[in-house]
Amino acid sequence: MPLDFWAGWIAVLTVVSLVGLAWVIYGVYFGKRPVGEDEESPTIWDENLREGKHPAPMWWFWTMLASLVFTLVYLILYPGLGSFSGTFHWSQGGELDERLATHESTFGVRRHEIARMDLAVIREDELLMRAAKRVFDRQCAACHGLDAGGQAGMFPNLRDDSWQWGSTPEAIEKSIRDGRHGIMVGWHSVLNRTEASQLTQYTVALASSTPSAHPGKAKYDELCVACHGPDGKGSEALGAPDLTTGTYTYGGGVLAIKETLLYGREGVMPAFGDMLDDMQIRLLVAWLTKGQ
Amino acid sequence: MPDSNVYNDRVVTVLVVLSLVWAIAGMAAGVFIAAELVWPTIDLGQEWLSYGRVRTLHTNGVIFGFGVSALMATAFYSVQRTCHVTLFAPRLAWFCCIAWNLVVLTGGISFLAGWTSGKEYAELEWPFDIGITIVWLAFAVVFFGTIANRKVKPIYVSNWFYGALIIVIAMLHVVNSLAIPISIDKSYSLFAGAQDAIVQWWYGHNAVGFLLTGGFLGMLYYFLPKQADRPIWSYRLSIVAFWAFTYSYIWAGPHHLHYNAIPEWVQSLGVVMSIILLAPSWATMVNGVMTVAGAWEKLKTDPALKFIVLALAFYGLATFEGPMLSIKSVNVVSHFTDWTVGHVHSGALGWNAMITFGTFYFLVPRLVGAELYSIRLANIHFWLALAGTMLYILSMWGAGVSQGLLWLSLDELGELSYGFRDIMASMAPYYALRFVAGAVFLTGAVLMFYNFIKTMENRTTVTRRIPEVKTANVVAEVAA
Amino acid sequence: MSVLGIHRKLEENAGLLIFGILIVSSIGGLVQVLPSIFQDELVSPSVETQPYGALALVGRDIYIREGCSTCHSQQVRPLLAEVKRYGPFSSAGESAYDRPFLWGSKRTGPDLHRVGAKYSDAWQRVHLIDPRSVVPKSIMPAYPWLAEKPADPRNTIQTRMRRLQILGHPYTEEQIANAPERVAGKTELDAIVAYLAVLGEAAGLAEGMVH
Repeated sequence: MPLDFWAGWIAVLTVVSLVGLAWVIYGVYFGKRPVGEDEESPTIWDENLREGKHPAPMWWFWTMLASLVFTLVYLILYPGLGSFSGTFHWSQGGELDERLATHESTFGVRRHEIARMDLAVIREDELLMRAAKRVFDRQCAACHGLDAGGQAGMFPNLRDDSWQWGSTPEAIEKSIRDGRHGIMVGWHSVLNRTEASQLTQYTVALASSTPSAHPGKAKYDELCVACHGPDGKGSEALGAPDLTTGTYTYGGGVLAIKETLLYGREGVMPAFGDMLDDMQIRLLVAWLTKGQ
Repeated sequence: MPDSNVYNDRVVTVLVVLSLVWAIAGMAAGVFIAAELVWPTIDLGQEWLSYGRVRTLHTNGVIFGFGVSALMATAFYSVQRTCHVTLFAPRLAWFCCIAWNLVVLTGGISFLAGWTSGKEYAELEWPFDIGITIVWLAFAVVFFGTIANRKVKPIYVSNWFYGALIIVIAMLHVVNSLAIPISIDKSYSLFAGAQDAIVQWWYGHNAVGFLLTGGFLGMLYYFLPKQADRPIWSYRLSIVAFWAFTYSYIWAGPHHLHYNAIPEWVQSLGVVMSIILLAPSWATMVNGVMTVAGAWEKLKTDPALKFIVLALAFYGLATFEGPMLSIKSVNVVSHFTDWTVGHVHSGALGWNAMITFGTFYFLVPRLVGAELYSIRLANIHFWLALAGTMLYILSMWGAGVSQGLLWLSLDELGELSYGFRDIMASMAPYYALRFVAGAVFLTGAVLMFYNFIKTMENRTTVTRRIPEVKTANVVAEVAA
Repeated sequence: MSVLGIHRKLEENAGLLIFGILIVSSIGGLVQVLPSIFQDELVSPSVETQPYGALALVGRDIYIREGCSTCHSQQVRPLLAEVKRYGPFSSAGESAYDRPFLWGSKRTGPDLHRVGAKYSDAWQRVHLIDPRSVVPKSIMPAYPWLAEKPADPRNTIQTRMRRLQILGHPYTEEQIANAPERVAGKTELDAIVAYLAVLGEAAGLAEGMVH
């Protein structure tokens, strides 16, 4: 709300100037012609350029009057004249509050119901699954892709069985609500070239078997075992990926794996707990677990 | 010393040619960025071809290059004739012509290099802002100096509008450009946040108001009655229209900030003044149309008049649409969408460009004392311009209305019905159509350019003596 | 004297005409703009709003340079659908350190006022370098040069902060002293990603503002 002085300034200048405008218009339409204006010899500005003598049309006067009346009414109903908030006491924040209340009374019950609904029931409901897909498209697809198949060699595929942080509905919900922050340390300062190659080969080999007499095993047991475990099965609690599945978030090629080993990776899943409500999260969890 | 018994038209000719060059360059930049929105990789990964930079070149090129050069040309041409004197301070007029175009040209290049203040339609950085201020003062001295020397006592209505253009743009430009420089290419605005928003749209809206509307109304009030060979229909209507326009336009800026984080009272005043603005805007349209009424037969053959009358129609459309878009419940849908872009172009293509084309078809043959090279080509230009404008407006209406409604749409669960990306992706056909529209419009302008080159080829500006004043209303000394 | 009589005087006296235009055309500004310059509520930061850190400030200037605001608004309107799509509506106090303001006038791309929380820095990087690698139908330009250029090659960060300090941004001497270090070795991409990451940080107080 403007300070008192400025509130008065705004109101007075607005009203006075509007009255002035009305006065000018009234004067031009109904005022006296100035004396001395010579009807016989009108001004000629440039050869054929002269003023026309038609009076200003009355419909224009009424249009102008109508807009001034509109102005008057509008400024009585709505905030405009300084600190006068209008007889409607309208505010844009207040309008939003009303809309939110209407939204809650219209959809609230149904939304709360869905937020607590059994996942299996949601999965059976075509309408809800379509709604879930729309939430996914809006909130998740920019990173994970429209088909949830992962993108850009860094955002995880959500359609396969390999879930870095766990594939249970509870784990997925936690990932969505609180976000995740996965860090793979880079080992370039402790690995020489041979060791790096051997460790890479060993990691690749883990996908098909658990080789015991591999030259890379020693370094694996030294550097990797703490997170990825002795058999390479990883840890959902730590967000350490399972290296035996053959699927890799950052690419399964030898070069990509080597890059990961040497320079590390950092993956951030933002927390959506404040951006999504319970129903939206429930729908997403149902949609993401539809293959289970 | 230039002869004070003749009109100084050479500077007018040069300004017309520069304006034409800017028209082609500015519109070409526009067509290019329209293409970028269809094929986003045609910038080839080059910074200086990037949309965000070329877009600024487009808007500044057409508004300040094409538009202001045309306004200077027509102001210099008409003020001499309506005052029956030669241009005051002719060297200063040449300075305006050359310095202005240098500022816009170097400024345009600076946009491609990434210099920008980030304030829409005031993107030029502080060194250019100073340049603009100096040129604008020179423009004021030449224009008002000429008026001060006039022999016809009453000041003609076109000069009121040109005068308002000069005065108000000076005020807006100086205030809105206030900034603290960091380096030659960078400054920080003296205003911040919501305050900056109010100042910026006070500027932005009234750059449209007093430059693109008021300035070009000056053009209309001189060239339309001249070309139609009829007196302006109602002089009294011009009086109320001018003052109501000058008063109410300046208040309408906040309608660019509806539902934004500025106080409600400012927004409301923006609404009511935008509604009031409809009447003075249409007054001029009616005044123009009634002036031509009775000279309709000329419309069949005269390309200049055809363009000017069509411009009036689009002016009427745009000035009706403007107040409608200022109503909050309409604005909720239209704001941030391509509807705004369509609205701007119905004014910019339909009104500003068309009336300038019409005026130039009047002016160029007269300046060099020749017939227009090809009436037929001018007629083709007319249809291309009309088709291009219509296609542009329709495609952007389609795009804008669907964006606005789809963004707001909720489904049966009270969820948003559509993701932003889906809506954006559905714009592709509209954007392709808009590109075609721009290309069609540009093609017409190129034809006009060629037509004028052929008309002016091997000719120089004709020297015209200032005729005797034929009116009783003369300045005292002359009468005596 | 009649209105037409007064007008005849104006028409015949250029000085009066200029004066008249000046008066009539300035009323709107005197009512709408002048109070906004003297009204604290429009320019006081909301409690959670901080002046931009060195790297984010550099990033913001790059955002301006590339004309990002020609396609992206930073203004969530208090409309139901908009609040649902983007988050809490924008308040005046959040923009108190925005010179110039970047609310924008067009959404060819989505609003970015709350974008900080939505994407990881990694996504922003990939997306800026090649938008279509993550959003297949995107029509956003690619900005490959951002990754190649140093963020502040002419070492103007301290000048920028000092000038903003003059305009009332409460930078501490320590912040200014440390600024070159924060920017050193960073690319333009680092800077703009740092800027995008802070967008929306001050959203907590959005409700209750400008009512």
